[in-house]
Amino acid sequence: MTPRRICDRAFLAACLAGQFFSMTLLLGILAIVVAKGIGVIDWTFLTSPPAGGGRSGGIGPAILGTLLLVVTTGILAAPLALGLALVRTEYFQPGRVRSFFELVLYTINGVPSILFGLFGYEVIVNRMGLGKSWLAGGLVLAVMILPTIAVSIHEQIEALPPSYRDQARALGLNRAKVIWSVVLPQTLPGILTGTLLGLGRASGETAPIMMTAAVFTGVHVPTGIRDNPVLALPYHLFVLAQDSHDPASISNAWGTALVLLGMAFLLTLASLPFRVGWRREEEAR
Amino acid sequence: MGTSRSPDETRAGYGPFGLSRDPRLRHLSTTAIAAWLLSLVACGFIVALLGFFLVESEPFLRSRGVELIGSPYWSYRHDRLGGLSMILGTLIVSMIGISIAGPIGILGGIGLSELTRPALRPWLKIMVELLAGVPSVVYGLLGILVLSEFVDFTGLGSRDSLLTAGLLLGIMVIPTVFTLTDDACHAVAQSYRDVARALGLTRTESILFGVLPSCRRGIAAALLLALGRALGETIAVFLVVGRSDNQWPGTGEWLEIIGRSGQTLTSKLGSTEVFIAYSDPQHWGAVVSLGLILLLTTALLTALGKVLMGTGGKM
Repeated sequence: MTPRRICDRAFLAACLAGQFFSMTLLLGILAIVVAKGIGVIDWTFLTSPPAGGGRSGGIGPAILGTLLLVVTTGILAAPLALGLALVRTEYFQPGRVRSFFELVLYTINGVPSILFGLFGYEVIVNRMGLGKSWLAGGLVLAVMILPTIAVSIHEQIEALPPSYRDQARALGLNRAKVIWSVVLPQTLPGILTGTLLGLGRASGETAPIMMTAAVFTGVHVPTGIRDNPVLALPYHLFVLAQDSHDPASISNAWGTALVLLGMAFLLTLASLPFRVGWRREEEAR
Repeated sequence: MGTSRSPDETRAGYGPFGLSRDPRLRHLSTTAIAAWLLSLVACGFIVALLGFFLVESEPFLRSRGVELIGSPYWSYRHDRLGGLSMILGTLIVSMIGISIAGPIGILGGIGLSELTRPALRPWLKIMVELLAGVPSVVYGLLGILVLSEFVDFTGLGSRDSLLTAGLLLGIMVIPTVFTLTDDACHAVAQSYRDVARALGLTRTESILFGVLPSCRRGIAAALLLALGRALGETIAVFLVVGRSDNQWPGTGEWLEIIGRSGQTLTSKLGSTEVFIAYSDPQHWGAVVSLGLILLLTTALLTALGKVLMGTGGKM
């Protein structure tokens, strides 16, 4: 082989190695968490409240709390993101203002989640007087995943064939009617994709909720809004992980990690069918 | 890639708030009002977030800003509020992180875009997305129980150290670099590769001289966004960094401190000290100012990355 060919092979091998490493990483993480966590999980673990500082007992209330946070976040974030995306595509003239608007949205997506936690702690928990509450956590998470959903909707609207809109206009529909009868129905997959992806991220976040919504023990189901914190899987895991010298804590931590990972993956994977359908339609055009 | 407009609307143009300049089209429907209200609420939250950090940190920065960014000593009990050692910690861990994730992610992304069969690509994309979706607290747990043992085994540093945190970050931001590099390379027209190959270039040469020059902005953006991620990662770093304050290198100690435990901006902001700080205006001002530094740095990196990527880039 000539040196040139050796260089060629070496570079290609390096690329494949990088790819292989990344994929192995996912499989490795999955394998470790499943192997260590599966033995812990049974019906009692999934339903009973934690006891003895998390060393015994289960994660029932934490699962409920995380579900409550995820649902609250989705209900709050989806309409706000839809409003943002509609204003951006339907009511904004393409130009400087709109580009700036997009830049701000992207920048918000890069803001570290702990800063959302600090903001929520001061403004929502203390200033607005909501106290540590599931609603405060839902609000903070909703603001955090706004860009993810808004951009997903935006992309879907942009991908709409111009002829759809033209035909609707030709039929004499005004702008509001075009939105309701063409844009929204065609954008539904984008809303679902973005929301599920965002929620997949939100469900695993610890930093924003540990200051606004989550406690470690003492709550089963919240009975009101103000000062009604919840248990949450990521925070539960976070506390257990700090107790790493205790084998009982750690074995429960692996169980919690498996449930949390499963939940985050399910939300991410649930967004796939909508995207696949949308891609297929795009290709068919 | 502009949204299509019907011709009469395009000619009429839009005035402020997207209202049409043509009087026949100028009506505010309930839909428009609802969309505007919803996005105003959303923007209100965003403005409040930025405003909060600016307003709350302003008095402290005005009086003691120099101490915050000039002194490495932080001890709130003695009213010493210098953030330099945390800033150094953040720089060290994110630099280690990006120097690991950068090469692996870029090579992997090129591999995915250039060397993988098209039928396989969507599946690998899904896997990368799942990898990106692993909650950071799970990475933290793996960091404590697997990675810190490894670092201890190699003898390069203590279990909980800046090195462990950096290595963990390196693993965590691989998906960001990977998928954005793939997007950037994949956007390059096929003809570039075909021409390069037809000229007798090897596959490597066609990638290096045909594809990469057209997408180096996209790859630079991938690195910037990944760096932003690394700077802001809290939970995983918190769990493995050791969280010891005032780790400032003496002369000739610059390499040694990497193997020792330290503190980063985020591990400080994520600690329970925040709740203690809340009752003391000076202490709270210092904490929020650290947050502001983090906010400005990550915002700058993300915005720069977005500008480099141009319009139409994914997140």
